[in-house]
Amino acid sequence: MIAVRREAVTGYLLLVLLMVFTILPFVSLFTTALQPSGTYPPGLAWPGHPHWGNFVQAFRVAQMGSLLESSVLIVLGVVPVSVLIATMAGFAIGHLRMPGARLVFFVFLLGLTLPFEGVITPLYYQVSSMGLLNTRWAIILPLIGLFMPFSVYWMRAHFVTAPGELSDAARTDGVNTWQLFWRVHVPLARPAISSLTILLFLWTWNQFLLSIVLVDDPTKRTMAGALGAFQGQWGTNVPLLCAGSLLILVPTLAVFVAFQRHFVVALLQGSLKG
Amino acid sequence: MSGQTKMAHRGSVLAAVMLTAAVAACSAPGAAQPQSSATATIANAASGCGKAPVTLNAYIETGFQVPNSLMAEFTKQYPNVKWNIREDQFAVITQNAPRVLANDPPDLMRLPSISDLVKDGLLKNLDPYAKAFGWDKWPSSELVQLRLGPGGRPRGEGSLYAMGLNYSMTGVFYNKKLAARIGMTSAPTTLAQLDQDLAKAKQAGITPIVQFNGGATGGFAFPLQDLMAAYGSPGPINDWIFNKPGATIDTPANQRAAQHLVQWIKAGYLESDANAMDYYTMMSHFTHGSGLFMFDGDWESGNLDKLMPGQAGFFLMPPAQAGGSYAAMSAPLTYGIAARAKHPDCAAFFLNWVATNPTARQIDVQVGGSHPLGPADAEMPAVKPGTVTAATLSAGSVVSRDNGSMDFIANATGAIYASAWTPELQKLFAGKETASGLLSTVQADYQQELAG
Amino acid sequence: MIRPGTRRVRWAGWLFAAPALGVYGVFVLRPLALTIQYSFYSWDGIGPSTWAGLSNFRTVFSDPALLNTIGNAFRLIVFFSVIPVLLGLAIAAVIRRIAASRLAAVTRTVLFLPQVIPLVAAGIAWSWLLSQTGVVNQVLSAVGLGGVTRAWLGNFATALPAVGLIGAWVLLGLCTILLLAGMTKIDPALYEAARIDGAGFWREFRSITLPGLRQEIAVCVTVTVIAALASFDIIYISTQGGPGDATMVPGLEIYELAFAHRQVGLASALAVVLIVLVLACVLPIQWLARRDAR
Repeated sequence: MIAVRREAVTGYLLLVLLMVFTILPFVSLFTTALQPSGTYPPGLAWPGHPHWGNFVQAFRVAQMGSLLESSVLIVLGVVPVSVLIATMAGFAIGHLRMPGARLVFFVFLLGLTLPFEGVITPLYYQVSSMGLLNTRWAIILPLIGLFMPFSVYWMRAHFVTAPGELSDAARTDGVNTWQLFWRVHVPLARPAISSLTILLFLWTWNQFLLSIVLVDDPTKRTMAGALGAFQGQWGTNVPLLCAGSLLILVPTLAVFVAFQRHFVVALLQGSLKG
Repeated sequence: MSGQTKMAHRGSVLAAVMLTAAVAACSAPGAAQPQSSATATIANAASGCGKAPVTLNAYIETGFQVPNSLMAEFTKQYPNVKWNIREDQFAVITQNAPRVLANDPPDLMRLPSISDLVKDGLLKNLDPYAKAFGWDKWPSSELVQLRLGPGGRPRGEGSLYAMGLNYSMTGVFYNKKLAARIGMTSAPTTLAQLDQDLAKAKQAGITPIVQFNGGATGGFAFPLQDLMAAYGSPGPINDWIFNKPGATIDTPANQRAAQHLVQWIKAGYLESDANAMDYYTMMSHFTHGSGLFMFDGDWESGNLDKLMPGQAGFFLMPPAQAGGSYAAMSAPLTYGIAARAKHPDCAAFFLNWVATNPTARQIDVQVGGSHPLGPADAEMPAVKPGTVTAATLSAGSVVSRDNGSMDFIANATGAIYASAWTPELQKLFAGKETASGLLSTVQADYQQELAG
Repeated sequence: MIRPGTRRVRWAGWLFAAPALGVYGVFVLRPLALTIQYSFYSWDGIGPSTWAGLSNFRTVFSDPALLNTIGNAFRLIVFFSVIPVLLGLAIAAVIRRIAASRLAAVTRTVLFLPQVIPLVAAGIAWSWLLSQTGVVNQVLSAVGLGGVTRAWLGNFATALPAVGLIGAWVLLGLCTILLLAGMTKIDPALYEAARIDGAGFWREFRSITLPGLRQEIAVCVTVTVIAALASFDIIYISTQGGPGDATMVPGLEIYELAFAHRQVGLASALAVVLIVLVLACVLPIQWLARRDAR
């Protein structure tokens, strides 16, 4: 009895400790953001006069409105298209199984463990020759391509388990392939599709390398890329930097808290399947 | 299972073949680029910004008020010109320069080091503007560091490829209150006297030198170069910075200088977390009185007069021998115009305005603390006596009397600061490098960069 | 299985897969081929290039600075991979008992926060915590270890472990939750049987928990190893590879070589080596996991 309780207490303590360790950076960011602008305050100290104005100033100088808009535009450009074409490809490879499907799948698998740094240099020159440098397309188009290996793998994994009898039945009803895809299988794939959407949203929003190499203007980058530019310009003003960082984190955190269950499920499944 | 394996094998062979074919079939990357020649005629070079609304793109260094103040004043006098300003820290600007100039060319850009950029044809040749505005009638020492031969080497002669917003003077700033505490009543005139002052400070429990060496910028280059000039003459150092053939930084005089710096490190004269201290933290520490000396430049004179009025003093680095000549790093605050800038004429007009307009020159001195460029007989804005700005400005005449102005060793090539000086100076401070190892490593890197 | 129908139906799959293949080919496969091509040349990215054969690869394997970056990447694996997996296992094992409580649900949300924010934000936050006046030093001073305090990211000896700590913070929550989820899937009957046999905590752990978690452990290790080898964001924003090159990693070195030093060929050779390294580390892990799953 006592042993079980001791284990439970240890468990609770560990949990709390772990949570403190996880939250600590956010708390420190918050308290530092409230210190007078331009100073180098000690790490964790509630300021005598909280300078809430730092947040206002950070919002203004970071042009938060434009940053949000830019990230949203990039997500809208990347995620729906990626999910659609990956679902189509997953359907083709996993369900239709056309001749050469295995080969196509293998081609996608090639890119699954590819680090972005491996292709960023030629990507830069390629995007440059397309005349797309410093535009949002410079992030959107390569990102769709770079998300294909995982997304196709993910959707194929679903379609491989989709029942074939449904398709047979539908075909005898005279349904063509596109209708079969859109009317029959996509609704079935909704859980997989929504998980993929969440994952791709997260990875797009937090994309940094492509942002800083291919786009100079912070208002055309992702939030993460804009944070890099913000640190470059205001990094020497620590309270302002902390305020700006927190503001930039707020949208992601808000979306996460709102959809937390879906996020957790998606991230867990994403890791397991990948 | 075997079917899948066979498929995988066939797939991998096919992929390998495709990739090899792609590699072999493609032509070699890159193509020869034309050198940026003087394309603007003298007539329209002085055309300026016109009357129509124009927005100039500027990429400047963060943390320094001078360019912002100058640009704001320029818009006040020429309301049709607006600025789109992007700021970044020194190391990031140097890192981004080739890319930004090639693909997102700004009209005006802060460029610590220009020789590699000229080699790649990324900077506009400013000779037409120099002729049109009369820059080549200014004292030649002001612009000599911005002249480069064809192909970017050597520096010090040839066409003009950049301009300056002002030119700086460097030396040693000191905290007057702390100096009084150790009985330092006047500036040291020999290196030995400086060593004595350092020892007295250490004994009194005062941090002798506050110097940044952290982040991506090894600020120990300032005291090191000052020591090099104290032990030797500025000529060979300048030759090395200007990439003259056969120049080397690994000389006996420089070895003694580096060894002297090692002695300072071993004696604990430098603040203990120098390797983690960036430039702005150093300024913050010094202005809060946590150190006696700081090796920095007059771009901070304005700030020091504002943040510690009457408390900051300045002296030039003393020579090793009594009565020796003085030398100091003195370089233009380099700004270039991208070869493919959209409004080069307006940008050049701005640069000329900075050097000739009385209000602009005043901003240079008051906010920037540095000497404006311009003709030798141009009016010098008044400076309050007793300010550190007055001290740094008057030091300029001593240095020019002794012909002792040097460019910064960090600017010898585009990459030498980030790839050689900074890591080596950080290792020196951590005790992981010797004085001779520092110089030989930097020289080897220098030769590799010039050859490649 | 679809009944083999007309040829049009059989080949319709290609039409469906075409868009994905197209974008992938243009923006991934072509650059990948180009990276391999560039690695055989000496090119500054602007002017003409010259054939360099294998000399770039020779440099990658002989230049001490470049070898150091690869070494750092492997050293980071200890922090990004080993610590989160081991610690995650330990923590998950201990909190398994209370896995269903409400506290655990809150914990899950909290522990996932590091995965949701951009890596650069984690880098910025932790750079501040690890600075001379940051929380880490405050805590150390509070427990009487004031003599140990220093600027962790600016010190040659501690910079890489400090960066590793940041990565561990980002990945620990993910591993813990993943392993915990895996543990709840293990048949409780197995534990019952072990308890009846009188097995203690460690016996249970070794014989039931660990084998049952093989898949999840493989995933944790794969994800974290890739994060360590391909790390860029955290180092870029916190140390830029410094002090000296104590924290320089291949990802950042490729970026600097290609865009700041204008050595595209050498950067591409390092990129090829990085890609091969990642494959060489990940494939064995996956093979091991799949083999035992059968």
